[in-house]
Amino acid sequence: MSERPKKKFIVTRFDPDTDDVPRTQEYEIPVEKDWKVLDALNFIKDEVDGTLSHRWSCRMAVCGSCGMMVDGEPKLTCKEPLSSYGDTVEVAPLSNFPVIRDLVVELEGFMDKFKSVKPWIVRAKRLAVEEGPMRQSPEELEEFKQFSMCINCMLCYAACPVVANEPDFIGPAAIALGHRYSLDSRDEGAAERNEIFRGEGTVFSCSFANECSEVCPKHVDPAAAVNQAKFAAVIDWATGLVLPRGGER
Amino acid sequence: MIEVLRHDILIVGGGAAGLRAAIAVVETDPTLSVALVSKVYPMRSHTVSAEGGAAAVARVDDTFEMHGYDTVKGSDFLGDQDVIQYFVEEAPKELTLLEHWGCPWSRNEDGTVATRAFGGMSTKRTWYAADKVGFHMLHSLFQHSLQFDQIVRYDENFVTRLLVDDGAVRGVATLDIREGVVRVILGRAVIMATGGAGKIFPFTTNGTIKTGDGMALAYRSGVALKDMEFVQYHPTGLPGTGILITEATRGEGGHLKNSRGERFLVEYDYGVGNKAELGPRDMISRAITQEIEAGRGVEGSYGTFVYLDLRHLGEEKINKRLPMVRELAKIYAGVDPVSEPIPIRPVVHYMMGGIDTDITAGTSLPGLYAAGEVASASLNGANRLGSNSLTECLVFGAEAGRNAVVFAKGIGDGNQAALVAQGEEEAARVDALRGRQKGGEKLSHIRNEMTRSMESGCGVYREQASMDDTVRKMAELKGRYADIGLQDSSKVFNTELVAAMELGAMLDVAEAVAASAASRRESRGAHTRKDAPNRDDQNFLHHTLCHFDPTGPRIGRKEVTLGKWEPEERKY
Amino acid sequence: MSRPANPNAMQPERPGRTRTAPPQLPPKFPFSGRYRAYTLFDWTGLIYLLLGFLALRVVWALGSGEPAWNHVIRDFEHPLYIAFHVLSLASLIFAGVRFFRFFPKSQLPRVGPVKPPPQPVILAGLYAAWIGVTVVFSLVLTGVLFQ
Repeated sequence: MSERPKKKFIVTRFDPDTDDVPRTQEYEIPVEKDWKVLDALNFIKDEVDGTLSHRWSCRMAVCGSCGMMVDGEPKLTCKEPLSSYGDTVEVAPLSNFPVIRDLVVELEGFMDKFKSVKPWIVRAKRLAVEEGPMRQSPEELEEFKQFSMCINCMLCYAACPVVANEPDFIGPAAIALGHRYSLDSRDEGAAERNEIFRGEGTVFSCSFANECSEVCPKHVDPAAAVNQAKFAAVIDWATGLVLPRGGER
Repeated sequence: MIEVLRHDILIVGGGAAGLRAAIAVVETDPTLSVALVSKVYPMRSHTVSAEGGAAAVARVDDTFEMHGYDTVKGSDFLGDQDVIQYFVEEAPKELTLLEHWGCPWSRNEDGTVATRAFGGMSTKRTWYAADKVGFHMLHSLFQHSLQFDQIVRYDENFVTRLLVDDGAVRGVATLDIREGVVRVILGRAVIMATGGAGKIFPFTTNGTIKTGDGMALAYRSGVALKDMEFVQYHPTGLPGTGILITEATRGEGGHLKNSRGERFLVEYDYGVGNKAELGPRDMISRAITQEIEAGRGVEGSYGTFVYLDLRHLGEEKINKRLPMVRELAKIYAGVDPVSEPIPIRPVVHYMMGGIDTDITAGTSLPGLYAAGEVASASLNGANRLGSNSLTECLVFGAEAGRNAVVFAKGIGDGNQAALVAQGEEEAARVDALRGRQKGGEKLSHIRNEMTRSMESGCGVYREQASMDDTVRKMAELKGRYADIGLQDSSKVFNTELVAAMELGAMLDVAEAVAASAASRRESRGAHTRKDAPNRDDQNFLHHTLCHFDPTGPRIGRKEVTLGKWEPEERKY
Repeated sequence: MSRPANPNAMQPERPGRTRTAPPQLPPKFPFSGRYRAYTLFDWTGLIYLLLGFLALRVVWALGSGEPAWNHVIRDFEHPLYIAFHVLSLASLIFAGVRFFRFFPKSQLPRVGPVKPPPQPVILAGLYAAWIGVTVVFSLVLTGVLFQ
């Protein structure tokens, strides 16, 4: 059996009980040619250093657990082929997030922002189950479908320069998911969300860096959602001046 | 002094079943407080990876009778017919509720929900959302649940033990993974919704979190695990990674081909008749295994495989109905299904077996309910039809929620001191396990030996000698597990400690699977034996029960609830 | 290693019960990779600010009689001014192209019953308008039209 080639991994480590600040640790391991970056991390944990902590689950780019900075770019490590990288690979926790341990970041900040946009169907009167499913044409489904593809992997937050500098900004994924519901023909909550979009976490903080959409592994295009939300928020505000309850979509 | 938290209903597991149960509790009684305890954030639950669809009668040419019969026959007549009857009747309501809550079901031109064909289903009744149904269902459920303040989430909390007092379950001990602290959460009913245990096998569609934690918790508390020998091999997983390529590829018209380019399900007699690629999963997995054994498979770096050919569907249909499949094939198999066939082989996908429950989702332990893949009601008997399990999560998640509320109202709090003492015991045990340097046994090596033995003894085709070997191997591994060495003694987010506890759960589940398999001397559904190739209704038309015993698993039996459908030969 | 981001970036409302390391800026921000184009785009704002002052000066000169106007026009022949105008043109084209690239996807799929045109049509329309206006202005300012 031929020798497997080796690669060096420079991995960020941080244990709040023993480290003042994060440090890096180097590992050199044999790798297989079709491995993803995650396979290498799992090998390190299983065979070399059991103290390395990282999140992962589905390994098929749909659960959103394994987001990390690989050579300075936010990536899903289960999706990134090792062959795209050189002999030394840097793996760090996602930028812009407080770090709990090693490659594990604090997600509660996102959960707060997420909940604040009311990401659920808002209806004045709930339908009875006996009435059956609501009707929705394929065209109506297309209007919001792209924005519903978000797996909450947080790569967009790691890439966004505004998230880095303005803590109140709601951020790409949360705005995209709020907007997804506002665009859903079954929802009646657009007015409420538009008010939230004009509020403290204002969508207008977005300066269209478009980094979120560049790094999104699911082609959600959150930049489109955020900037559409700007228009929606303005139109809602303007019609609110003229009409008593704001415009109906 | 251990911290004690209190809620009315505790739910362990935040996937489709757990979330549906939480919502059901709040809807039944909005004054109750629900703890949703999950070792991962809910959107990471493995529900998210389901692709094909969820079944419920929807079309005018479909009836509950037909869905019921398909399910009973698919289960090789081991499914409990009262459970199945209830399930098919509730199914459309549950999927409708999900639609009301925002699930983006794919639609027909007229705006009604679209349905597709699926294996073993006599007509189109599988509701779908492109080919990401699990993702959309999970996220719709989770996002819908966010509006209820009564649902308090304990994310990244690993339940290590059920706390039982005076004959009923009254709480859980849970390790807060982030803080490294064990806490007690007291409640009046506990719903287990932790999913299956595919990770006891080496090749599985399952993600790393599917380690059977909830099955082990119930097992160790004296509740039987039912029908554990029935492990579903999904016919079309990618070689190596085991990543799922949905049955919907066959539902939309894909063909399975051998190394000669023949559609072997049509060319040779594998019992699927003219259903061909739309036959039930156990039969197709066996057919592929036999094709490979007959030398008509294709050699690859991860073993032998056959082909799933979608080229004739055309790029437009693939992009519209199977976009995720196209992406998965490109990223993880290096092929574009528009122009090349996809390499596939059977991989472990689902456990029909699980915690012994009945039509109420209740167990033999008062206060303990179970729903979803972790449970065996038994809806799926010896073989599950594709697209029934997502609906199952909703139907029995809701039922568990409702029944847990009724139970909780009728029961007292139990002896607090006794329960807290159990919690303190757990905290001490977990603290002792963390970073124990002694011992030479490596976690990953025990795990690998376990999966290899399970593959050889409890694969698609089984026989007594190798099953018995596996039973012995699991006992040996459990002994060696007691001597495991762990490197990480940190408290904050210690994933090695969690992996060690998951391995403990997997060994318990694996021993139950192997012992149950060794005891069933017939072939039925997914349990196929070379040394007992026929179904034996005379002697084995019953459920296998497996009880925990320190000297080795104790096998028993439980009657199947028959109904209007008499067992017959299972031909398609 | 990286540089710190705002210490409150992505912090939860209720602080976590273990100590966390502070958030770090994306390593390539602001001058590497794709961030470079974004940073430059942001900085063209300086150019527009200066152009704004210039425009004020021109308007003032317009209202101050012919000698003042001729003075301004002669100033514009100075190499530094020409350099500034070339830089402004480059910035506007750079910012315009970037803005046009993003504008179509920022349109809501529907406002009431009204749907926007398909994105390529919007893009084509933006360029057509830009080029058209530029041509008309050039013809007017060079005296070909309305002389």
